[in-house]
Amino acid sequence: MSEALRAEQTFADKFPNEAKVVRAAFLGSFFALFLGAVFGIIQTLHRTGIFRGFIASTDYYTVLTAHGVFMVLSFTIFFLVGLFTWAVTRSLDRPLVNIKITWTWYGLMAAGMTMAGFSILAGFTNAIPVSADVLYTFYAPLQAHPLYYAGLTVFVVGTWLAGADWFRTYLAWKRDNRGERIPLQTFMVLTTMIMWYIATSAIAASILLFLLPWSLGLIPSVNPTLTRTLFWFFGHPVVYFWLMPAYLLWYTVLPSIAGGRLFSDPLARVVFVLFVLLSTPVGIHHQYLDPGIAEGFKFISMTNTMFLLLPSLLTAFTVVASVEYGARRRGGTGLFGWLRALPWRDPAFTGMMLAGLMFAAGGFSGMVNAGMNINYMIHNTLWVPGHFHLTVGTAVGLTFMAATYWLWPQITNKPIYSLQIGLFQVVLWFIGMALMSNAMHAQGMLGVPRRTAEPEYSGFDYPTAFGGFEELNLQIAIGGTLLFLSTVLFLGNIVLTMGNPKVSGIAESIRPALSGPTDAPQVLDNLRVWVSIALVLVVLAYALPLAAIISDGGLLGPGVGTYPVWLDGTVHALAETATTAGWMLVDSLTVLGAHVADTLSGVAP
Amino acid sequence: MSRTETTQAPVDEAIDDEEFDPVGTLALIAVYFAILVLAWVYIYYIEFLGRDLVVVG
Amino acid sequence: MHIHAYEKLWLAAAIALILLLIGSVTYGAVGPGVAMVTDSENQIDAGGLDEDERFSEPRVEQVGENHYEAYVVAYQFAFDPSPIVVPEDSRVTLYVTSRDVVHGFEVVGTNANTMVVPGEVAQISFEVDEPGEYGVVCNEYCGAAHHTMEGKLHVVSQSEFENRGEDA
Repeated sequence: MSEALRAEQTFADKFPNEAKVVRAAFLGSFFALFLGAVFGIIQTLHRTGIFRGFIASTDYYTVLTAHGVFMVLSFTIFFLVGLFTWAVTRSLDRPLVNIKITWTWYGLMAAGMTMAGFSILAGFTNAIPVSADVLYTFYAPLQAHPLYYAGLTVFVVGTWLAGADWFRTYLAWKRDNRGERIPLQTFMVLTTMIMWYIATSAIAASILLFLLPWSLGLIPSVNPTLTRTLFWFFGHPVVYFWLMPAYLLWYTVLPSIAGGRLFSDPLARVVFVLFVLLSTPVGIHHQYLDPGIAEGFKFISMTNTMFLLLPSLLTAFTVVASVEYGARRRGGTGLFGWLRALPWRDPAFTGMMLAGLMFAAGGFSGMVNAGMNINYMIHNTLWVPGHFHLTVGTAVGLTFMAATYWLWPQITNKPIYSLQIGLFQVVLWFIGMALMSNAMHAQGMLGVPRRTAEPEYSGFDYPTAFGGFEELNLQIAIGGTLLFLSTVLFLGNIVLTMGNPKVSGIAESIRPALSGPTDAPQVLDNLRVWVSIALVLVVLAYALPLAAIISDGGLLGPGVGTYPVWLDGTVHALAETATTAGWMLVDSLTVLGAHVADTLSGVAP
Repeated sequence: MSRTETTQAPVDEAIDDEEFDPVGTLALIAVYFAILVLAWVYIYYIEFLGRDLVVVG
Repeated sequence: MHIHAYEKLWLAAAIALILLLIGSVTYGAVGPGVAMVTDSENQIDAGGLDEDERFSEPRVEQVGENHYEAYVVAYQFAFDPSPIVVPEDSRVTLYVTSRDVVHGFEVVGTNANTMVVPGEVAQISFEVDEPGEYGVVCNEYCGAAHHTMEGKLHVVSQSEFENRGEDA
């Protein structure tokens, strides 16, 4: 086939089997986004006091667990595995080694998330003696049903197998392409997965050695500080598991959409290597106010965390420079005027740019979170959700939605139903998030706590420094409502797109970088070196703290009890009477959705 | 739509690429840097250290 | 490896910013003397607080000329004692532990904030100045009625503090 004809082929034309997997992964992701959004709007109206009729306050924590798990584990990670499957296949220009393995890991992820999701949603009704009202962080001694821990484990094992699938495909390519530099997108996938393997080792240990046996009654208790520390060992790098796919899109796709080229391939590699090294030895910065950890370990974590700013700050420069290059090629001039020459009517472009802009703000609130002693001011206040809705919510979530407008046609041969609605949707997201997150940060400064169904208390009033508590509540509710509408528009657009007929001639290509991979020092591609250094850093950061925690409190905890929240039937019974009808509807939709997901993933080549 | 235009536009000569100086990027990022520094100084030294009940032991 | 001059400049600025952040935190620790919650206290049996000298009777006690200690127990869904009453112009050290699950202890609108972990004792010290009332909230999810968990911290005049037992 001639080069010209090949260039006209979309990803779906060239790699139909892989395209099916990517579609299935994205659909799983968007289903989770849908559920997460429904819970999100319930939460935002309940918490702000605008409307508390959907659920009783005691059920708020079931909603919150669902919102957290579906959004940051299911929506993000299903999108990642779809994106990475596309990126590896495309950049290596060859199919995956064994498509059966691919569907196996997809099935494991779907099964695991269904188990975990069921255990959470069953918490809405007393008819099923299963619940997981422990939030996405599941801190012991609060205890969930074993199905929750088992589901999360199966889900993570699925992702491990996905990484192995991509590594095998890369190794097969390497045998046929000796001496060549790893293509950038594959490099990004491999480094991200290395970081993920290191990160998930701790949460797997925590669940398999402690939490799951404990929930099954095989061990009498667990050490809360130990399990918290193992969670946060995972809990910080997981945010980079969310971010690095977004960075992959900003580095390798956004420049071409802008009409430009990636400013520097080597620097992109350096950034991803820095994430491999620095993402893991920093988890203790989530535990600055823990009584079981010495201040010295917290200080070390703080300095590591501050250096972790570097790859993100470098990314800001490289990505903006790549876009500026495109603007100038399109005729843009002036110090700032070049911004006008960019394709702002393209929702993929505008969405990613707005996501990046919002990330810049999120970076600042992250610096505050990381600042050890200043953490006293905002720990566990609403400032923290304000921060992460900017980062995972927008930098990642909005980028994923924007990228879908570009990528979905490539994997389906169907043009997006309406790019105008897409453009409106991404801008609406930005506005809604600006309102909501800004108000959350302000309420945090007043001391309003996070993770609570009713933030008004009888014994005191909040200070009125940053706008009154009530006005800020209204702002949060308006912002949250706009976000929900934006999500509905996005999902509707995709559903309607699925009904479009296939067309030809919509292939998009990615332009090579200005400074290419051959300009990068060979050592960057030496993954073994980076893994070794990463492991050393993790051992340095965690060996002493873990040893101290275990020697102080024991492996199974210093005389701590068990609090199986799912036995708290009395409270549930009271709440359930008022909300049974509504949740029967949700249960039916869940079952229906699971059927749909199963059917789609069951489509074999 | 504008998108197809970007992918079919001709690739520039190598000479133009190597001479590209991202002045616009530098300007934008300098503004961002200034905002970060000022915001940090405010929030750390004035907000945080100015509050009641600073933990000192 | 070729790095554009502007990006090198930005790299230097980024590192300077990082050092500003680390430097600020270090200054906070050294100058005003902000201390982090740390593992200074021994482990404790969360199920056996009734036998503990401090936590079997949650209270405020004078331990020095101007130094007061408060032994606080957090549990589903309240703090004991509440209100925590301390006199003005004094140094207050709180020892906070939990009978059951992980809680938070946050004096609203201030920098006094700590996690409360069963089996551990969190110790924080701060100066109180003028009389006033502060709200205390549990800011870590602790169960179905978490949103009702609150307490108070009262800073009162010296005479009010000395007479406080008489109304009981």
